[in-house]
Amino acid sequence: MRIEKTGEISTALLLVSAFSGFVLAYQYEVAAPFISTTAIEAVLPFGSFWRSVHFWSSQAFFLALAVHVWQCTDSITHFCRSLRGRIHWVVVGLTLPMALYALFSGYVLRFDGTGQDAGRIAEHLLLDVPLLGTALDRLVMATADEGLNRVYAVHILFTVLCWGIGTWYHTRRVTMGRRIFFFTLSTSLLSGALLYAPIDLPDQNLHLIKGPWFFLGIQELLRYLPPVMAGIAFPMIPIAVLLILPWLKNRKNAYTLLSVWFLVYATATLVASLR
Amino acid sequence: MTRREWLGRAVKMLMGAVLAWPVMRFVLARRYRPPRKVRIRDEVPQGGFLIEPEFVLFQQASGPLAVSRTCTHLGCKVTYDESMRQFICPCHQSRFHWNGRYISGPAKKDLPKYPVEVIDGGKGYIVFI
Repeated sequence: MRIEKTGEISTALLLVSAFSGFVLAYQYEVAAPFISTTAIEAVLPFGSFWRSVHFWSSQAFFLALAVHVWQCTDSITHFCRSLRGRIHWVVVGLTLPMALYALFSGYVLRFDGTGQDAGRIAEHLLLDVPLLGTALDRLVMATADEGLNRVYAVHILFTVLCWGIGTWYHTRRVTMGRRIFFFTLSTSLLSGALLYAPIDLPDQNLHLIKGPWFFLGIQELLRYLPPVMAGIAFPMIPIAVLLILPWLKNRKNAYTLLSVWFLVYATATLVASLR
Repeated sequence: MTRREWLGRAVKMLMGAVLAWPVMRFVLARRYRPPRKVRIRDEVPQGGFLIEPEFVLFQQASGPLAVSRTCTHLGCKVTYDESMRQFICPCHQSRFHWNGRYISGPAKKDLPKYPVEVIDGGKGYIVFI
């Protein structure tokens, strides 16, 4: 599939995700996150449908964006001939960690068993970052002090930034192919109608819980490595490599590093999922 | 880069820094929150325990003991296994004795304990978190 197509699919999926999130926001309460989420899921008309559309379109958006970024690395020499091109690459590349945060915080915001522990782990990992830990925590998490207020604010902020950077800054246009948009919209709505967005009970006294699928590898590595290594440094490797790619003369080593990283992470994810 | 372009960029960066300062000061500020009191109206028999969302209260001959359920590794909520008299972290499998003492796993530190006050002649407790 061509780069432009995956870019348009990502944008369309982000639009569906943002719109369904906007609909959910009318009934979601930050002060009572789990109760309002279960009310949306079980009581309110079409609540389960909108949750499901939001959940699956967000997952698909992140995956489509990752594929799009990976495709773009093939043409990096063309994109990054000038300093302006390189800066453009870095700014656009930042949408990947923002999308990852938006996806992760979606789990935290539902505040079920998985979400509560995911939030606590993320907060402790951020606080372990040398020098900047407290500031980072206050900026994007601070769940222990502030509940989910900041998580919700940044969840929305990063979604808006992904949209702004991906359209206005990146492509200079906010329109997309009608066919792609309607294909994405209809697939998302169908997924919402047919698939279930997961939620579990908090405080079930289970002796083993598993985090979100993209977090399983980190969860496994946290058993063996210090938190800063497993939870911050290791996940930062692919993002840092992607961002500095335009400045590297010999990119072969960078691609080798990315491949090794992916292999290690996939293995850790597999081990964690088999537990 | 010409001198005019350089000046233009410097002005933009300065404006960014001037805006960022009040934003950061506001966001990073921490409001004072007094310690919370959790009031328990149940009577816990000697040798028994009571599981609460944030701690487990044990009633010993020496007095009550409230052990935090926050894992010292990464803050997950530990579960209490009655048969083994152990706390187990569901996230990374750290284990602790019933009194919070560390046994194994990546946590390395004991679970914290909270001060407890006995009220109503032993028919209730206040735990200070």
